[in-house]
Amino acid sequence: MHELRRDPITGRWVVVLRENGMGPGDFEVEKHEIKGGANCPFCPGREGMTPPEIDAHREGGTERDKPGWSTRIIPNKFPALGIEGELNKHGIGLYDMMNGVGAHEVIIETPDHTKQFADFSDHEIEKVVWAYKNRSVDLRGDKRFRYLLIFKNYGRSAGASLEHSHSQLIALPIVPKRVKEELIGSLKYFDYRGRCVFCDMITQEKQESLRIVAENDLFISFCPAVSRFAFESWILPKEHSADFSYIQADSVVALSNILGDTMRKIKKGLKDPSYNLIIHTAPIEERQRDDYHWHIEIMPKLANVAGFEWGSGFYINPISPEDAAKYLRGIKV
Amino acid sequence: MRELRKDPIIGRWIIISTERAKRPEDFKQPPDATTHEKHCPFCSGKEAETPPEVFAMRKPSSKPNGPDWDVRVVPSIAPLFKAEGDLNRHGNGMYDKMNGVGAHEIIIETPQHIGGIYELSVEQIANVIRTWIYRITELEKDERFKYILLFKNHGLIAGAGIVRHARSQIIATPVNLKRVKEELVGAKLYYEYKERCVFCDMIKQELDENKRVVVDIDGFISVMPFASRFPFETWIMSKRHSCDFESLTESEIVDLAKVLKTTLTKLSNAVHDPPYNLVLHNAPFRRKKRKPGYWRTIEEDFHWHIEIMPRLTRVAGFEWGSGFYINPMPPEDAAKFLKEAEG
Repeated sequence: MHELRRDPITGRWVVVLRENGMGPGDFEVEKHEIKGGANCPFCPGREGMTPPEIDAHREGGTERDKPGWSTRIIPNKFPALGIEGELNKHGIGLYDMMNGVGAHEVIIETPDHTKQFADFSDHEIEKVVWAYKNRSVDLRGDKRFRYLLIFKNYGRSAGASLEHSHSQLIALPIVPKRVKEELIGSLKYFDYRGRCVFCDMITQEKQESLRIVAENDLFISFCPAVSRFAFESWILPKEHSADFSYIQADSVVALSNILGDTMRKIKKGLKDPSYNLIIHTAPIEERQRDDYHWHIEIMPKLANVAGFEWGSGFYINPISPEDAAKYLRGIKV
Repeated sequence: MRELRKDPIIGRWIIISTERAKRPEDFKQPPDATTHEKHCPFCSGKEAETPPEVFAMRKPSSKPNGPDWDVRVVPSIAPLFKAEGDLNRHGNGMYDKMNGVGAHEIIIETPQHIGGIYELSVEQIANVIRTWIYRITELEKDERFKYILLFKNHGLIAGAGIVRHARSQIIATPVNLKRVKEELVGAKLYYEYKERCVFCDMIKQELDENKRVVVDIDGFISVMPFASRFPFETWIMSKRHSCDFESLTESEIVDLAKVLKTTLTKLSNAVHDPPYNLVLHNAPFRRKKRKPGYWRTIEEDFHWHIEIMPRLTRVAGFEWGSGFYINPMPPEDAAKFLKEAEG
């Protein structure tokens, strides 16, 4: 009999397949061939092909928009939202709308075209995490914005159009629906029990020890009990904290370490799958929330899995998170 | 153009962003390269290859699980839910669980090996709709079920598998689905505030503005919603208010068949038979022993409809995770293009 599990945060039900489910080796993945950086606008030496940089981590003595950087942040050349102008909120009859004001930035994570995130050293990942933090601190000062969405698409099936390793940041004048759902669910749980649902989750995960992928002093990475996707993995700071952008230096190091481990395990264990990585954090200026806990969600895109939820609103997970975590835990990196 | 638009029912914001310069023509699909299809268990004559049928519209004097049927319903060979057993609801610390009790049926829409429902005759599509209604009504009798999900995956990317034989699926679930609940709650809130059905208001505004309507025949319209999540997302709505799909009259069934056929034919001609998901949004079952106040105004506040979501963009992964949709194609442009397409 398959099992229905309910997510304690959003109340969403997920079907975990128990019969004819899949083993870790049964998943097909999209192949990633690096075609080379012959025309890649993210490679050093082609800085002129991108909009002027917003920020970069550079060697001393190198100039803006010239080589010599290790991470580089630029506006997206085809932004989903534009930085200029006012929101101009208005309605037409039944419908509400506003101007698409926001920021859409690209974080180029490495000058090396052939290096993917899972190949980075912990120190290289630290630089990327610092870039996330610094951009968040800068953008959270803009009063027009309500939410900062940081994410990474790896592979075509995850929505990436360029192969050079990069992440994106979108600053939004609204809180996206799924984030809102999560916030409402967390608040409900907090109202009822007086505790943060994510903190409780960490406690239960540590007690049961069934779904943990990796752990260090400050962070834990596990496959959530109600995983929507095969090998879905979350990384949470053990200490309660609502807003990612306030992360401290020691936590950056610990996060980079566990993020590196998790991504390397996924790459090695699942034959380099495409994935989406999303930082879930509190809306701007809500860092004091006791009910919400920032975290990272990693969703590998494995064939034979996609498709259904979109149409039906039902998530089907062909492998139990217990089996998935056990497998990833066993991968040596 | 960049615009944020809010869905008036569930309050989801989406971005219409045309910076990536997509014209309707840009979404035309390449010819389907899936040639792996070798064998089809859904064709007439292959009845023994499916589990025994649950129901079929058959020619008089034909036998169950033999040929001579128009529409045939069989249990899924890999069911997500099974009819036997108890729910056994239980908790494990903070996590709630129950057994996957339910039903999962496949509606084979034609005995011939035809891929798209729009290629069938209006009368045959009407038979499919009659079968949908019959199965929903039958499954309602099982008190363990709360909701029926009726959907259709067309094309490999949409989850249809490699066999290109027109079919739809019904899943009876023991729980109410989150996405359904969201819509019901949104519709109820609107009703409490305005004492009108939000979908009826939508139909009225769409007909007045006439910018997003694709087909308007008899009692039905197909329209691209103002806050479309996806290029060419299309909803089919009945002009007569009703929360229950099963309440369709015989003549409405035929009209709906016409609108479905026209809409999907246009879509197919306009962007070359794209993969899509089609989902019926219907009111949940209302049982006698329901909680007081629960679904009290549903008959007034909710309006059944069909949502068609073509899978033309590749961005689904990120949007799954964040719930944040970026649509590169204004629904007004898509509607204009589809309206002019042959249908």
